[in-house]
Amino acid sequence: MSTLMALIVVLAILMTIVGGETGIRSFFSVLINTILLILVAMLISWGINIAILTLIFIPLKLVTIIFLGTHDYTVAKNSFYSAFIVCLVISLFIWGCQYFAQAAGLGPEAGELLVGLSQMPGLDYPMIAVTVAVFSTLGAIAEAAVAMSSGLLEIKKHNPNISEEELMSSGTAIGTDVLGTAMNTILFGMFGSFLALFLWYFRLHYTIGEVLNEKLFVNEALIIMYSLIGVILTVPLSSFMLSRGMSKKGLKNESRKSDHN
Amino acid sequence: MNFKWKKRYTAAVIAAIVGAILTVLTYFATDIYQKDEVAVITDSQIKDTLIEKNEDVYKNQDQTRQQILHLKVLSGKHKGEKYTTKNVYYPSQLTTQQYRAGQRIFVNIKKGDPAIVNPKRDWVLVMVVTITVALMIAVSGMHSIALVISMAISWALFYLVIIWDVHLNGTHIILLFGLADIVLSFFSLLIVQGFNKKMLATWLATILGIFVSFALCYVIMHVTGESEMKYETGDYATQDPRGLFLAQTLIGILGAVMDEATDIISSLYELIQTKKDITIRQLVHSGRTMGQEIMGPLINVLVLIFIAGALPETILYLRDNNTLASTFGFTLSLGATQSVISAIGIVLTVIFATGCSLFFLKDRDWKSLFKKEGENK
Repeated sequence: MSTLMALIVVLAILMTIVGGETGIRSFFSVLINTILLILVAMLISWGINIAILTLIFIPLKLVTIIFLGTHDYTVAKNSFYSAFIVCLVISLFIWGCQYFAQAAGLGPEAGELLVGLSQMPGLDYPMIAVTVAVFSTLGAIAEAAVAMSSGLLEIKKHNPNISEEELMSSGTAIGTDVLGTAMNTILFGMFGSFLALFLWYFRLHYTIGEVLNEKLFVNEALIIMYSLIGVILTVPLSSFMLSRGMSKKGLKNESRKSDHN
Repeated sequence: MNFKWKKRYTAAVIAAIVGAILTVLTYFATDIYQKDEVAVITDSQIKDTLIEKNEDVYKNQDQTRQQILHLKVLSGKHKGEKYTTKNVYYPSQLTTQQYRAGQRIFVNIKKGDPAIVNPKRDWVLVMVVTITVALMIAVSGMHSIALVISMAISWALFYLVIIWDVHLNGTHIILLFGLADIVLSFFSLLIVQGFNKKMLATWLATILGIFVSFALCYVIMHVTGESEMKYETGDYATQDPRGLFLAQTLIGILGAVMDEATDIISSLYELIQTKKDITIRQLVHSGRTMGQEIMGPLINVLVLIFIAGALPETILYLRDNNTLASTFGFTLSLGATQSVISAIGIVLTVIFATGCSLFFLKDRDWKSLFKKEGENK
């Protein structure tokens, strides 16, 4: 058995033990999410319009992450709406910034990777860069939305008579923590993803001015910022939506939730 | 909800104005760069001609185009000189670059011949950082200062770790990055939460989560003989690629585990604040529920970061008629392995975070201490 397969099996077992039914569903959400990413890569490589593909796959991926990954319908629904709105806003923002940054494609360092590969693939790489940035950001937005909604819902569950004002201020408190630590996930995730590149810059004695204008570095740093902006926008939006939705209907009226929105 | 103009909005506007000024200064900066000269493209409309249409062996259709650029150098000893140069690009812009009228670029002038190095991109970074900071202040107020400082310190410590790693030339890499995890998590949590029991509980859960899961995965890798681990496919390797992979995994997992431990512990903490008579059993149940909710989305964050980054290459491999299996092996397998190891860490952290919050929070004497700190915020 290959190492990757063995690790996946161990992960599946652990997720079942710790997460129970939700754990199993989360496992499949991760699996499907990965398959969706590979599917996007395949569809793009076939030459299908990248912008349209991205717009279709944003809600698909959000549904996979949020609805499969969480077992509480109220949390999931609230998270999905907030995350979807934020994703659309951030996609536009990314598109604008990538236009100015011109940081698409592979860096000049990628020379050895490209041996035997086409340098003229006939694909719109600036648009692919937008797609990659949107997808890298999407996970963090979904995560923040779920953390906000489930945190607030736990408080509401244990304290059903909490007022809208109090809930919003609890939201700000949780939001600050979610923001502070989402930052860490994104930052260290990117560090972990591009450690080799940073070592490359250092060993090849790039100056700071060069690094700050270098295509791949700018691209990575921008993705960190896009993700942060996405998370920042998610915090007030999801606590606003949850506190408003709950004070209108109340938690016990689950059956009437469907006609909300 | 009645909208109130708060102090933090004023602070956000001030940050935005300062950032906007910095962005403009960076855009027009010319003499701060050591290596290359800054130049501006003076054409108001660039002459862009089609040289030939190409079709490669994979039947990919593309074009070769040429731009005639008129440059005016703005810095260095060639300042004020004007040049005319050609830029050949393919519209795919995989490795080539199309330039725009009026754009500022870097050139390297040798023997009267300017070679275009890069477009000037740093001002975009400053602009986006400005927007991020301004929004952060608007949403979370003075607290965002701590976040910005924490981020700056993380970058600085990361830079130190890289220097140290180069100094050691890639030896003892697990030890180095394990140590880096402990130090980085301590400072990140300290700055955001302050030094208190809540922070220590989070720190302990983070460290347990990282090292227990890493040890477990290391054993699994060892038992399976690291089969099909194509370390050599790692990009930009300047040192032992296996060590590099392990280091990337140790650093990549840190943020997510810290994030999760903080989410669980701070939510349980909020819970104790709002409901005074909570039992240990309810607390464990809440912790597990939170963990279940957060686990999936958080793993997806890392999967997306680790795998989306490899998409441009993956698309290129697939475009060039490689099979899905060989493409996966070349471009995605390391990222996927890294994702799975991180996922195992995230799952185990649910247990450690719930356990740690119990350990610290169940004691009623400690609780009264927390209350005071909460009011001081």
